[in-house]
Amino acid sequence: MKMINEIIRFNKEILGLNRRNQEYVRPFNSPSSKAIADNKIYTKRILKKELIQTPEVYKLIRTKKQLEFLDWDSLPKSFVIKPNQGTGGNGIIVFYGKKKGKSEWIRPNGTTMDQRDIILHIENILEGRFSMGTKNDIAIIEERIKTDPLLKQYSYKGVPDIRIICFNQVPVMAMLRLPTKRSNGTANLHSGAICTGIDIGTGITTYSMHMKSNFLLSDTYELIDSTVDLKENKALSGIQIPFWNDLLEIALKCQKSSGLGYIGVDIAIDAEKGPVVFEINARPGLGIQVANQAGLRWRLEKIKDIKIKSIKHGIRIAKNLFGGEIEENIEAISGRKVLNITEKVYVYDKSADISKLEKYKDTKREQVKAFMDTGVLTSRIDSKLANRIGYMNAHKQFAKLEIPKRFETFKDAQEYIDKSENEVCNNTEIKRLAKIVEDGEIRVRPVFDIPIKVSDKIKITEFISTQSSDILCPITIGRSDLTGYLIDTSNTF
Amino acid sequence: MFETSALTEWIIGHGISQMVLEILISLCIVATIVSVARYIFGSKTYGIYAPILLAISYSYTGLKYGLAITLLVILTSLLSFSILKRIRMHYITRIATNYIILSIILVGFFLLIDSFGLGLDKMSNIPPLAFISIAALSDFFIKQYIKKSLVGSLMTLLSTILVAILGWFIISREIISDYVLNNLWIIPLLAFVNILLGMFKGLRIKDYFRFRFASRDENDK
Repeated sequence: MKMINEIIRFNKEILGLNRRNQEYVRPFNSPSSKAIADNKIYTKRILKKELIQTPEVYKLIRTKKQLEFLDWDSLPKSFVIKPNQGTGGNGIIVFYGKKKGKSEWIRPNGTTMDQRDIILHIENILEGRFSMGTKNDIAIIEERIKTDPLLKQYSYKGVPDIRIICFNQVPVMAMLRLPTKRSNGTANLHSGAICTGIDIGTGITTYSMHMKSNFLLSDTYELIDSTVDLKENKALSGIQIPFWNDLLEIALKCQKSSGLGYIGVDIAIDAEKGPVVFEINARPGLGIQVANQAGLRWRLEKIKDIKIKSIKHGIRIAKNLFGGEIEENIEAISGRKVLNITEKVYVYDKSADISKLEKYKDTKREQVKAFMDTGVLTSRIDSKLANRIGYMNAHKQFAKLEIPKRFETFKDAQEYIDKSENEVCNNTEIKRLAKIVEDGEIRVRPVFDIPIKVSDKIKITEFISTQSSDILCPITIGRSDLTGYLIDTSNTF
Repeated sequence: MFETSALTEWIIGHGISQMVLEILISLCIVATIVSVARYIFGSKTYGIYAPILLAISYSYTGLKYGLAITLLVILTSLLSFSILKRIRMHYITRIATNYIILSIILVGFFLLIDSFGLGLDKMSNIPPLAFISIAALSDFFIKQYIKKSLVGSLMTLLSTILVAILGWFIISREIISDYVLNNLWIIPLLAFVNILLGMFKGLRIKDYFRFRFASRDENDK
């Protein structure tokens, strides 16, 4: 039974290939949009209109005749050759420089290719050897990106890139792909590149993995903590990706201009030009889930029906919904959980069986917004919410007590409490009485024990029922219930 | 074994030989096996054509001979490809040269069997078309080797052979082929199974292994 539950949970959380194709790629990516993504020249043209930078094209070779008359001397020393409709990095060759006085170009692994080898490779591209389908293709000779110095120190030659998956105009998940020795300088996961998850909220790297090199397990992943083949291997978590907000914005612009509802955008950071879009993918791979230790499916489901008004709105939603990996890291280091200044919490109904709350998810409960207020000691609940969850009678009993509407001083209020609390609590559902300042007046209010769920933890919490008109949220969590938490004030309303 | 159905008799009586009918049934069964292998198990094969071709070929050659020829084809392709890689030449000419080398090696292999037996004495009884069908695997293998990597191509080859063996096992059981031959309603049923598989959105078994690190117990996300 436990295993079946586990499989059901896994299915709800993780996006598999079947569902990706049936539920996201086919319905949200039209054939015309896919045609744009599958064609690097179209992609460049469309992105240019949106003022998004892509690597500069030096030459386009469509026929063998054009190849025959190619002016090799007009090419810069370093460049990249790629097929226009290539997949998975196939057929891409990077040249770092040219040998002095020779028609030979140097590759990332130090080997050289002469003009005749390159011509043969381009001919293979033109014949469609590296492309989707069997049609002839176009060879693109374009600018080589010069890696940003920060990311350069984590990669073995090649150019690291950042993949951002967007759906419904919201960036859903992101990862950094770092070339390794095994991947021969390419940022392709299947070739052995390292993939590091990125917290959408902050742009800081989290977990890392690469594909196992073992033959039989080569299609499965292995979690790692640091780079694997550099002279001095470096920890991979905690890297702040430069231009993070710009990258999210660029990814969403790419989605808008290509018309792809479900898209993977690959962006590199050039040392001089900043973010440069490498390519857009209509069928981005699913390994990103392992790098982020999170499933794509529930994220996609969460934003499926949200109406996004603008790019900024999409980014804000992504940060609020999917940010937080870093908070968990802080929790791991400090042993404390991070709470936002406002959090969604569950308030359980008075009739709920406290001993079974954790077992049964369908227990009657209400999800409400709670404000974390270290300025008050005891937590507070709006009396209307308390009525809804079963404390109506308790309030009626409290109203019958004829307690003065206000007190002049706290001392008076305390004296009243000391005098009548026992009697009140013995005959009613009220736990105790408390003195509070409500709408500028000192009042005595009833206190109830109410189970709530904050950040996956169910806890019976003492709440003062309040009728205050300036209450921010139906629930205010006071400092006596915030022990063991850190409050993140960056996410305000 | 089973009573001949009227429909089967009618089809055979109208110019379609039993052998053709049996091959067509095998084709439907292996195609469905490939679909199940892909969408339920997540096994990658060289498309649908290669495993069908291999499974049907194995049913003619027998598994032992079929696997021996497959192994020979792959080893020869690997060897010739790694030699030809050093020479600057066009793709089609490279594949053509590979086939020529493969043919020469196959002849040499036959001569070896003739002289030493090698436990494969009945090799000469195998229909030549079955040989050619298995040899076509070389093209699939080399194509992927060029596009992806040796490991990737070998992995796909292994899956293709495993699916083909499963297909061979099922179509070469007399009880199954006889039953389907006389119960042709199974064919539209197979089409229906494929339609259902085509709409299946659940995780493939391989996905559970691939993404097992991705899932954390996060209730009420």
